[in-house]
Amino acid sequence: MNRRLVEVENLKKYYPVTAGLLSRHVADVRAVDGVSFNIMEKETLGLVGESGCGKSSLGRAILRLEEPTAGRVLYKGNDITTWGRRQLKELRKEAQMIFQDPQSSLDPKMTIGDSIGEVLLIHGIGTEQERLEKVTELLQRVGLEPEHTMRYPHELSGGQKQRVGIARALVVNPKLVVADEPVSALDVSVQAQILNLIMDLQHEFGLAYLFITHDLAVIGHVSDRIAVMYLGQIIELANRKQLFSHPLHPYTEALLSAVSVPDPHQKRKRTSLPGEVPSPVEPPPGCRFHTRCPKVMEICRQESPVLRPRTGGRLVSCHLYG
Amino acid sequence: MMRQTSRKVGGKRNLIFIGTLLVLGLIVLLDIYLVDRILEPMGYFYLFFVAVAVLYGVYPLHANRRLTRYYWERTKRHRLSVLGLAFIILLVAVALIGPLLTQDPTRVNFDEKNVPPVGFTIQQSVYDLDTDKFLVREIPGTYQHPLGTDDKGRDLLAMLVSGARVSLQVGLLATLIAILIGTIMGVVSAYFGGWVDQVLMRFTDIMMTFPFFILLVFIIFIFGPSLVFIILVIGLTGWTGAARLVRSEALSLRTREFVMASRSLGASDARIVFRHLIPNVLSSVIVIATLSIPGVILAEAALSFIGLGDPTVTSWGMILNAGQRSLDTAWWVAVEPGILLFLTVLAFNFLGDGIRDAFDPRSQL
Amino acid sequence: MHHNILEIKQLKTYFFTRSGVVKAVDSVNFGIRRGESLCLVGESGCGKTATALSILRLIDSPPGKIIDGEIRYHDEDLLRCSGKRLRQIRGHGIAMIFQDPQSSLNPVFTVGDQIAEQIRMHLKLKRRPTMERTLHLMEQVGIPRARERMKDYPHQFSGGMRQRIMIAAALSCGPEILIADEPTTALDTTIKEQILDIFRDLKQQREMSILFITHDLGTVAGIADRIVVMYGGRIAEVGTVYDIFDQPKHPYTHGLIDCLPDISARSDRLTSIPGMIPSLIDPPDGCIFSPRCPRSMMVCRQKRPKEVIVSKEHLVACHLYS
Repeated sequence: MNRRLVEVENLKKYYPVTAGLLSRHVADVRAVDGVSFNIMEKETLGLVGESGCGKSSLGRAILRLEEPTAGRVLYKGNDITTWGRRQLKELRKEAQMIFQDPQSSLDPKMTIGDSIGEVLLIHGIGTEQERLEKVTELLQRVGLEPEHTMRYPHELSGGQKQRVGIARALVVNPKLVVADEPVSALDVSVQAQILNLIMDLQHEFGLAYLFITHDLAVIGHVSDRIAVMYLGQIIELANRKQLFSHPLHPYTEALLSAVSVPDPHQKRKRTSLPGEVPSPVEPPPGCRFHTRCPKVMEICRQESPVLRPRTGGRLVSCHLYG
Repeated sequence: MMRQTSRKVGGKRNLIFIGTLLVLGLIVLLDIYLVDRILEPMGYFYLFFVAVAVLYGVYPLHANRRLTRYYWERTKRHRLSVLGLAFIILLVAVALIGPLLTQDPTRVNFDEKNVPPVGFTIQQSVYDLDTDKFLVREIPGTYQHPLGTDDKGRDLLAMLVSGARVSLQVGLLATLIAILIGTIMGVVSAYFGGWVDQVLMRFTDIMMTFPFFILLVFIIFIFGPSLVFIILVIGLTGWTGAARLVRSEALSLRTREFVMASRSLGASDARIVFRHLIPNVLSSVIVIATLSIPGVILAEAALSFIGLGDPTVTSWGMILNAGQRSLDTAWWVAVEPGILLFLTVLAFNFLGDGIRDAFDPRSQL
Repeated sequence: MHHNILEIKQLKTYFFTRSGVVKAVDSVNFGIRRGESLCLVGESGCGKTATALSILRLIDSPPGKIIDGEIRYHDEDLLRCSGKRLRQIRGHGIAMIFQDPQSSLNPVFTVGDQIAEQIRMHLKLKRRPTMERTLHLMEQVGIPRARERMKDYPHQFSGGMRQRIMIAAALSCGPEILIADEPTTALDTTIKEQILDIFRDLKQQREMSILFITHDLGTVAGIADRIVVMYGGRIAEVGTVYDIFDQPKHPYTHGLIDCLPDISARSDRLTSIPGMIPSLIDPPDGCIFSPRCPRSMMVCRQKRPKEVIVSKEHLVACHLYS
């Protein structure tokens, strides 16, 4: 049985909305609003949701790239939300991030070699020569050539840049990698290459992934367990099989039915969701999904449901299930 | 192998720079408290300029030869900017070695006053002692004074060469000071945001409204006119535009994922500012610098023209001032510095435009 | 016999850049029939957008230039007609909508004004009927409370709503053909489905022809009647949606379909197309896909393949079938 690597407890991330000359604090964007879950060692936890649901903020808050507003994040049992500068630097060796846009996540004025080597330099790992060897070795592992160390980002294709981004995340041998939409900016034919690479590396390096994406097909392919987010909250968390064969939450169901399947024969029964995602500044009272839910009941408008365990270890937050 | 050394020195570059500053500061202190002067005030500026130029200009261009060639290829496409660069290089060469070859620009010789440039002949009425009459005499240009002389018989070529040195000194040094302050203000303001940003930008606003001309008159009134003060005042007040431009540039850089990426790798604030933000704003900084040099040169010329310049050095503005008084007898005295000033300003503007287009990724096509 | 209302013949659009001539569209032929939705599918840089822009002569020049070809709309060649005639056709006969609804609306005018402008320009209606028509269009694309919202500015709408407004503006003069360049790419899964529904309705109710440009095969399967697959500025395969998905002939089409992650069955590895998208400067002699093609032969590297008819509606440009 794998141990818990990360435990997130009631995490909140609010962004203040200010107005007027004196920047009065008038409201909050509740990007992440009370989220709890665990990431096991060596597993892939998929985090799926539409734009603005808070999935990226959550990913960043877990690595403390953004300061959480409230709640705790335990890494190997230690609460990292209280850690200072020195300890955080240690955390950066254990927990890394892969970014969405390979174009903007590399410094355009640095060679590929310097970009990857910088991590080792920051953490004072190895001598000049050792660092160079490590960088070259890792570049080859992600499918690039040693001579790419001398290149600048604009000389590489999107897929190659994403490979560099992956190499940079792995160079310090982390245990946890938060991958924020790592293949969304890539073309279909390249996307498959990168997904394969990401999965191969997981076995090789014994990584745990928090894989964030809006693309259900991708997340279904890579994840062990999947958490579905809506308006700053997790509304369902289940293993891959449970979720895809038998979604419980009406939102998950709608999301799954909206996935465009590349098969013209399959005229799906679509649960087309009406309306749009409400503003996270003033989320609806009661269940946040009730404004769009096809199965809405009276209680949904008044009481917010809690994420409760169901059979098979899965969690769902919906009044339909008591 | 080359790349390795580049990284090693690259990381220590800021340390070397700070070290140079400290050494310079030490010499200034020694100068103030010791009787013997180690260096003329301009000497410090030169040392400072050379240190910055080598550490942040020549060295990175040399280390990233491939990138340098790429930029050069792109700058070269602008014919005019290459012409501008050639003119500036020529001017720098003249300013550096010219004074060694020409006559003393301050030597007065009334026997040879108002001699026209080579190829021109003018008629001058001369009082003849023997006949006690005014005679009209033809005075041809001579190769002894290829560009003629002024109404005190000073050699114009020597004066213009000396003026080139003054103009370049003021233009380059004042711009350097302004750009350094502006860049640091802009980047720090953008990266830290919040109250740091508020304080620095409000300070910038105040500086922007500050009338530098009055400050200059005030300082000249207290300390007397001196080139060093002119450079300092222009430099210390002229950074506001650069600060705002750099800030807006850095603000957009800050939202790029590579800044977030380096934080996720454990990089410190200082590292992000110096290793990631500043190198990325550097290309715009160079453009701003090149385009603001002509303004500074003109400002110095204007000051000298109205008589607020340093009287101990010969600058173009001063020659212009003298020339406009004798415009009807000796037109070349005003025209020659005027043309030079015009060409210099034009050259820097052309070069600036070329560099801007070379650095602009949008002009990729 | 099917009647093509728009016929593209031997279209060549090149971009003259400093690094060389980019052959973005290189001898492309296809036709659009009345009342069908034709999907132009391909990855980034395959020339699909350049093709669409060429139809209305919207290519930025310089650096772009339509070198050769013919675009026959009814009995006119759009590449050779006068500027005045072309402006009449734009919007009136052929309308276009773009990927990013944010940047294709002018932020300083109300959305009502922007739709009305189109109507006034082409139909020369009076104020009142123009407003009536605007209102009607906005209701038709499903904007709630259209009468009030006409007076709102683009930033007051969400991405999905903005795309609806763009569609309303494009429909304002009742065009025969609607060109939609990645209209759903920037939208969320559940919103995307709503927009696709609008397109399906348009086709059925108005008998409009839609040229739908996308890289997403899932979307294609749900909306297309026929498909044109493009690769490297050339056409790889043309066929009905069933031809393409059931019996793809071109190895590229094969690869593209195979490398999609399948949510209904998890496999450990995705099939991927090796290599990367080719540069269109100095493309290789012969077939442009040959460097990445698993079934590449000698002839592929020497001769550019001709389009071969494999069945009634199905064309493929590949040496395997000649």
